[in-house]
Amino acid sequence: MAHDIQTVRGVLKQTHRRLLDRAQVVATGVGIKVTAGKPTGELSIVCSVTRKRPLAELTERDRVPASLDGIATDVVETGVLRSLQSRTARHRPAPGGVSIGHRDITAGTLGCLVKRNGEVVILSNNHVLANSNAATRGDPILQPGPHDGGTLANDRIADLLDFVTINFIDSPSDCAIGNAAAGMLNAVAGMIGSGTRLRAVRPQAGENRVDAAVARPLNPVDVSPDILEVGRIQGMTSGTLGMAIKKSGRTTGFTQGAISQIDVTANVQYGPGQIAQFTDQLLAGPMSQGGDSGSAVFDNDNRLVGLLFAGSDNTTIINRIEHVFAELGLTL
Amino acid sequence: MRVWLSGALVLLLGMAGSPPAKEPAVPASIQEVKAKHAPALMQLPGVVSVGIGRGPDGRPAIVVGLDRERPETLEQLPRSLDGHPVLSEVVGQPRAQ
Repeated sequence: MAHDIQTVRGVLKQTHRRLLDRAQVVATGVGIKVTAGKPTGELSIVCSVTRKRPLAELTERDRVPASLDGIATDVVETGVLRSLQSRTARHRPAPGGVSIGHRDITAGTLGCLVKRNGEVVILSNNHVLANSNAATRGDPILQPGPHDGGTLANDRIADLLDFVTINFIDSPSDCAIGNAAAGMLNAVAGMIGSGTRLRAVRPQAGENRVDAAVARPLNPVDVSPDILEVGRIQGMTSGTLGMAIKKSGRTTGFTQGAISQIDVTANVQYGPGQIAQFTDQLLAGPMSQGGDSGSAVFDNDNRLVGLLFAGSDNTTIINRIEHVFAELGLTL
Repeated sequence: MRVWLSGALVLLLGMAGSPPAKEPAVPASIQEVKAKHAPALMQLPGVVSVGIGRGPDGRPAIVVGLDRERPETLEQLPRSLDGHPVLSEVVGQPRAQ
């Protein structure tokens, strides 16, 4: 019996909720029924299932009826449906692993949600959310980041709440007396023909352990505790040599690796001539690229291990999560 | 007989060379040794990282990361520090991502 498409759509509209209630059914629609691999030409209600199973294995409740109001059904196997939405797109609610950034940067990764004073906040890097110290608390944070098309007018998801200042090596001194003294000594050195010049530099005010910042969502429903392709956070643990790890990032998506070095001291370049030294870092093989900064790093049991912030062609450098939590006063 | 004599000589020289009074009760841990030497190692040309990893034999080692092939720096690297092996690898220049 042939039915026109409006009739079939009408029946689908009446029944699709009940169909989707059945175990295994992940999608419903209207399509040409296929029997034994050949299209029959008959319009049908198509139910997509994760896996086709013999009727005998299914409870009465989970079986898709052969017909609904006289319309034939067809069951096709599609597997688990995954969102194909890009990580650089706008997401509401925004999960961990998607593009984010301060309005003046390109784009980084939204790491995960954590708590500060009981309030849910977004965790990522200083150089993602606070523009490498250049931002002011309260500055707008965009999802997606500006490089991915995020605009202040439409995509503001949060405001910068706090960040840990990065101490750069050889930061030009802002001390007037030091600069004046250096200038005078250099003038003297010039007069006596010495090629050596002094420059007032601010000594490193302590070591860097983290490149971290937090942002407060404008609306708590705009963020999700899920991490793309990882799931939910299941606690926290300390990274150890050889530990298998994984991350979910804006650029390279879901990647896995292992901790190859601990207790690492490393010089990281932030821009031309801008270097910061980090201590007590974790090192892994290549599992990230530009734009993955801010990714949360997990062990195989989804326990939070670190915050990814830097890398080279051969390595990935990760802050220990215990330092990130201690320096920003965070909890899970 | 000759083997025994030279063995005894080595033993005597060894004892003379390391007065037991100055020997630390517990050998320095690799973390302590790394912490002590990292600032000097980081000053060598092309050194971008110093950490604790494992050698091919699976034993803990101090691993020096280089921005590129650096034969002149490799010549300055000790094979071991306070009994802990020192390895090197080219990791490239780490950048904020």
